[in-house]
Amino acid sequence: MTVLVAYAPAAEGREALTEGIKEAHLRKADLLIVNIGRGHHDLEAQEVQELEGQLTAAGLALTIESSVLADPGDAVIQIAQERNVDMIVIGLRHRSMVGKLILGSTVQRILLDATCPVLAVRADKL
Amino acid sequence: MLDSAMAALASLADPSLLIMLLIGTVAGLIMGLIPGLGGTGAVAILLPITFGMEPPQALALLIGALAVVHTSDTVSAVLLGAPGSASASVTMLDGYSMAKKGQAARALTLAFLSSMAGGIIGAIGLTLAIPLARPLVLSFASPELFMLTVLGVALAAVLSRGNIIKGVSAGLLGLILGMVGTSPTTAEERFTFGSLFLGDGLSLVAVALGIFGLAEIASRASQRRGQKETITLGGGWGQGIREWLTHWTQVIRGALIGIWAGVLPGVGATAGTWLAYGQAVATAKDKRQFGKGDPRGIVGPESANNSVEAGDLIPTLLFGIPGGVPSAMLLGMLLTYGIQPGPSIITEHLDLMYLIVWSFAIASILGALFCFLSVKQLAKLTKVPFAVLAAGLVAVMLLGSFQEGGQLGDLWIMIILGIFGWLLKSTGFPRAPFLIGFVLAIPLERYYFLTDSLYEGFDWMARPGVLVFLAILILPMIWAFMKFIRARRKTNLDDGHRDEQPEDDEAPLKNSTWSLVASGIFALAFAAALISSASFSPEARLVPQLVSIGGLVFSGILLFIEIRTRLRAKAGRAGWTLDAGFALKTFVWMTGFLALTAVFGYLIAVTIFIPAFLLVVARARLKVAIIYTGVLYIVLLALPSLLPIDLPQGWLNTLV
Repeated sequence: MTVLVAYAPAAEGREALTEGIKEAHLRKADLLIVNIGRGHHDLEAQEVQELEGQLTAAGLALTIESSVLADPGDAVIQIAQERNVDMIVIGLRHRSMVGKLILGSTVQRILLDATCPVLAVRADKL
Repeated sequence: MLDSAMAALASLADPSLLIMLLIGTVAGLIMGLIPGLGGTGAVAILLPITFGMEPPQALALLIGALAVVHTSDTVSAVLLGAPGSASASVTMLDGYSMAKKGQAARALTLAFLSSMAGGIIGAIGLTLAIPLARPLVLSFASPELFMLTVLGVALAAVLSRGNIIKGVSAGLLGLILGMVGTSPTTAEERFTFGSLFLGDGLSLVAVALGIFGLAEIASRASQRRGQKETITLGGGWGQGIREWLTHWTQVIRGALIGIWAGVLPGVGATAGTWLAYGQAVATAKDKRQFGKGDPRGIVGPESANNSVEAGDLIPTLLFGIPGGVPSAMLLGMLLTYGIQPGPSIITEHLDLMYLIVWSFAIASILGALFCFLSVKQLAKLTKVPFAVLAAGLVAVMLLGSFQEGGQLGDLWIMIILGIFGWLLKSTGFPRAPFLIGFVLAIPLERYYFLTDSLYEGFDWMARPGVLVFLAILILPMIWAFMKFIRARRKTNLDDGHRDEQPEDDEAPLKNSTWSLVASGIFALAFAAALISSASFSPEARLVPQLVSIGGLVFSGILLFIEIRTRLRAKAGRAGWTLDAGFALKTFVWMTGFLALTAVFGYLIAVTIFIPAFLLVVARARLKVAIIYTGVLYIVLLALPSLLPIDLPQGWLNTLV
């Protein structure tokens, strides 16, 4: 069992990570983090260590992976298909219709293209 | 229309045209193999040979080369994992993975066939564009043509990869450089500093070969070692053909993306292939194999990078604004023949248009055929270290840029621009807008004055065509500004960026003292242009002044940003890198070669420069150096009798 978290150094990414950790514990699944931020902003080394300790204590493994594909959406889907993960966790916030039309939406593409269940968490809650 | 198409095909039966097409195709294939040359290098090197020819022959030669450059650049990408051009690096992702699995033949089959199809579809696109654009183009008057030239430079600056401010600065500096020489309106000399040979303006070949060719050589000359791995082609020819047939939709999709990328100025083969790759990944349900040898990852991009060159020709020939750097040079060539692209080419030279289309399609097929037949030999060629090739390339490029004016001054300018081009390349300035600006400078000014004399005040601005172009001009800027704001606020996380290529190390000296120096040079050049244009007559100074004021604003912003980042970065990146030292050393070598030429003449300079460069810089064996020099010497000796080429004479020759 593996849960994939699409992480980026922003509110959406944080939200996805918190929810992904919860989900991993709940499902007794390994955690797989895919960095999708622009310009390769990865998780802080210290944070990774903490997280790893936390997960190994529960008997679970942590992997961080990246893809050769440039587009974050494609990268997440590719890794999910390769590793045969059970769930993808993504964070999202409100996007206007025009904004999505002109600029596109990575989240939307992950939702539509994923071949496994996707858990979407709102970063801008009420 | 069909008549002229058939007539053009019949004219290709003329042996002299056919031979030129064949020579062009072979030359294009060879230049595709040499890293860094690409379509730009191929056209720039072949252009000087065409100076003595009739337009059809010259076009057959150049189009033949341009059509197949992206067919052969795949070979080294697939076999060695070292792409022959930036656009072939996409094919490397899946092609090299296949080769590592022992299926190089499968990857190459897919690539060659797709390249061929891309070329043919591109040619069809060009054909269809003629009747579609014809009524539109014929309705254009000077205001629209003026707006088109502005649009050509502006779009190239905005759409080029990297920073927009850098792109605009480069485009404006190109415009200034293009204005060197005689003013089109008042026939007074501008920016010539009293020099007689600058009066004709800078030579297009010298500028292109300097900014792209020499700069590329300098940044790669440090590659002394060739690939040592043994190359095996493996099997899978049949499998490749079968897979190509099953993925025919990807071939067509890739070609269409390529044409579109080609039509947009400044979006070249590199961006086009990445777009096609992104599209292939996006439309695939099973994405697991991408990057590990998925045939779809080869088919689409390979088809796209050939059709880009055809797409480039659409705006070039129909509207007179080059879609890319190679076509900017073609435009320059057509202008020297007195063929005005735009409305006049459609009415008066339709046969040439169709000749281009047919040449493109036939060369695409021939190119793929040659690649299949000679893939083993081509594979061996890719193992030659670049430093060894560089010696010959420098000699050929210097000889090439001598042909246009027959003056050594052009060669000095070429080397200076080579250093500048290297600086632009390594500090992340796009070079395409620079060259496009250079080519469009004179047409822009001419159309402006035509418009100004025909219309009262700003009445021309109200013409519907002009308004549409204004909208096209402004929209990308709003778009870019919006993206910039979103990036600042960090609200762009979810925005799609499928079309972006991955971060690469193309510009190793970005945000260093080097880029500060580059911005400083820009600001200085614009300031100097502004000051020296004050002495021109009012008509001659209007456009240069506007351009240099704009340039000062943009380069000022650039300088401000650079200084701020310099101040913020405490430790700062090392100013003098190993590669920079090597590149500058290469330029010293080139200068030495030119100095030798100036004193002893070209032939003697070659016999001194080539062995010295090979032994010292490339560290080649003595035997290689002797044979290399001998062969080159004989070829150069025979060349003037075969082709209309002059060898530069030195100071000593004038004494004898």
